[in-house]
Amino acid sequence: MTGDVSATSGAARRGEFVLRTVEERGVRFVRLWFVDVLGLLKSFAIPVSELEQALEQGVGIDGSSLEGAARKREQDAIARLDPATFQVLPWRPESLVARMFCDVRRPDGEPHPGDSRHALRRVLAQAAELGYVFQVGGEFFLFAESGQGGEEPRPLDAGAYFDLTPLDVGSDFSQRTIEHVEQMGIPVKASHHEVAASQHELDLHHTDALSMADALITFRLAVKEVARELGVYATFMPKPLEGAAGSGMHLHCSLFEGERNAFFADGAEGPLSAKGSAFLAGVLAHAPELCAVTNQWVNSYKRLAAGFEAPEHVAWARRGDSSLVRVPSNRPGRESAARIELRSPDPACNPYLALALVLAAGLRGLERGYQLPAEANGVPADGLRRLPQDLREATDLFDCSELAREALGDAICDSVVANKRQEWEAYRRTVTEFERSRLLGLL
Amino acid sequence: MPDAWIYARDRELAGELARGLAELGFSPRQVSVNGTLLPGDDDGPAARRPDLVIVAAGAEEPSPDELLGRLSEHEDLCEVPLVAAVDPQHLSSALALGEAQELLVRPFAPGELAARVSRARRDVNGVAAGDVVRAGSLEVNVATYQVAIAGRPVSFTYMEYELLKFLVTHPRRVFSRESLLSAVWGYDYYGGERTVDVHVRRVRAKLGQEHAARIKTVRSVGYRFEL
Repeated sequence: MTGDVSATSGAARRGEFVLRTVEERGVRFVRLWFVDVLGLLKSFAIPVSELEQALEQGVGIDGSSLEGAARKREQDAIARLDPATFQVLPWRPESLVARMFCDVRRPDGEPHPGDSRHALRRVLAQAAELGYVFQVGGEFFLFAESGQGGEEPRPLDAGAYFDLTPLDVGSDFSQRTIEHVEQMGIPVKASHHEVAASQHELDLHHTDALSMADALITFRLAVKEVARELGVYATFMPKPLEGAAGSGMHLHCSLFEGERNAFFADGAEGPLSAKGSAFLAGVLAHAPELCAVTNQWVNSYKRLAAGFEAPEHVAWARRGDSSLVRVPSNRPGRESAARIELRSPDPACNPYLALALVLAAGLRGLERGYQLPAEANGVPADGLRRLPQDLREATDLFDCSELAREALGDAICDSVVANKRQEWEAYRRTVTEFERSRLLGLL
Repeated sequence: MPDAWIYARDRELAGELARGLAELGFSPRQVSVNGTLLPGDDDGPAARRPDLVIVAAGAEEPSPDELLGRLSEHEDLCEVPLVAAVDPQHLSSALALGEAQELLVRPFAPGELAARVSRARRDVNGVAAGDVVRAGSLEVNVATYQVAIAGRPVSFTYMEYELLKFLVTHPRRVFSRESLLSAVWGYDYYGGERTVDVHVRRVRAKLGQEHAARIKTVRSVGYRFEL
């Protein structure tokens, strides 16, 4: 008798949990999830009879599905199931379905260079002794219909705060969304109606970076599922209505060393510790070149251009709602609350890549001792760097970003650039309502 | 599958215990009686704290007294059910047998092993393996990994379930974040104590209003589960 009698590893335990739960609950299908380079959810179902083998060996997929709209030729890849993420889905209870996130591997077992989830893991591993904690507030709109015909969509509660019927849908919606999201293991900190008509925000409680990225993918799906149940349409499009505020995804980030919040300034002059200041300096210095990921659509720049408290310049402040980074100082002396809030990303980003790049930028600031510029209160805007003004400029900056290439690898960066150039070309050729309304009669 | 660690110099006895424990649904492993009292590198790293420890005491070194004393004082093992297995001739010389919850004298019948293990676990944990643990309308089936509230299943991820299971099977005792990390996540986990807070919040969110409050936060100490 030796020590290996039947030493059950953690992975085998998790696998057993999955198989037993599927059996006990009568789950019929398991959906395997991964995202492409644009952060769009890819899902394929396997019957439970295939599950045991899939847990052991993974499932073959076409690796070019990671490349977004700019797909090249087919290539073999393997989706490795992450049983720690096994979760029965709370919606559509009439036929029980569960999901599991996957890591995409090459046939030789190495991580696939185009896998966003792995890219985030790799950045996290670079500073494994540090713990990053993210808290996210995601905004979205509810509309009566999808508006995919091209016309401007109709807000549910347009202009009438006390309009009874739409408000019913709204509050029913909030309650049901929170229930679903929490049943998926994503605790909700707060939910409220945003400034624009039909706009909602859900604030998700802080957690580690990988769980938060998984949670954001889950959250986007849960919101759309609930909307569908209620016969309305939810969108994370950054700027669906020209005359209303866009939807942002505010990233609150703090950094822990052991149990200490490394951003906390105990008695220091500024709102952040020396480490926090250097991290923030890194995020600010690299923010423009990362916009092609944090704000990845043509439409993202309509939100950043239009005021409505969206950031346009590289600046930080303790107060005020339109700076790129806010350093909350509402609870001085409370260590756990020390953090920075990055306000540029929108909820239509790829959360794995966005979190990976924000971390990489902050880490760069820490490693190289970047100096934090002065707080922007009262500084005239024309003395500040601007964020890119459109997707073309953002893509050019990203393409040349040594930081992005180091953090994400060339495969992902080239794929992002190919997708974004393709989108820009299609946009550039489009004759818009703007041109017709101004020029058709005039010329 | 629960882990059982076997401390024994006598290979024949160790084998007998391992087979018996495997039949009871444990994953048994033999652990060196020297050094740290935790599985050494040769055995692969310890994934986490075991659910049961069996000490097969004989005439060899270290003495059963010394081994049982060290085990019961070890900070990671002090809350683990402990069963001592001895030969009749060593009964009188083993003064520290009282540290163990249950005593097994060779030769023993298979049914006796099951009964002693079950009693030791009930002593320490308040529940026996295979039981459904209830707290009001909350039911945790520790044999099937399933949780239900008022008969309706609630879906947990693996780590959420493991945390809830540990708390409900150790009610009314306060656990520090550090001890929960070592008991639930295992020794090789580096995620830090915030991991515990994050998972407690997730478990509370899934338990819903009626039961969330059963997991009490004990300020600047840790957490406690109320039945």
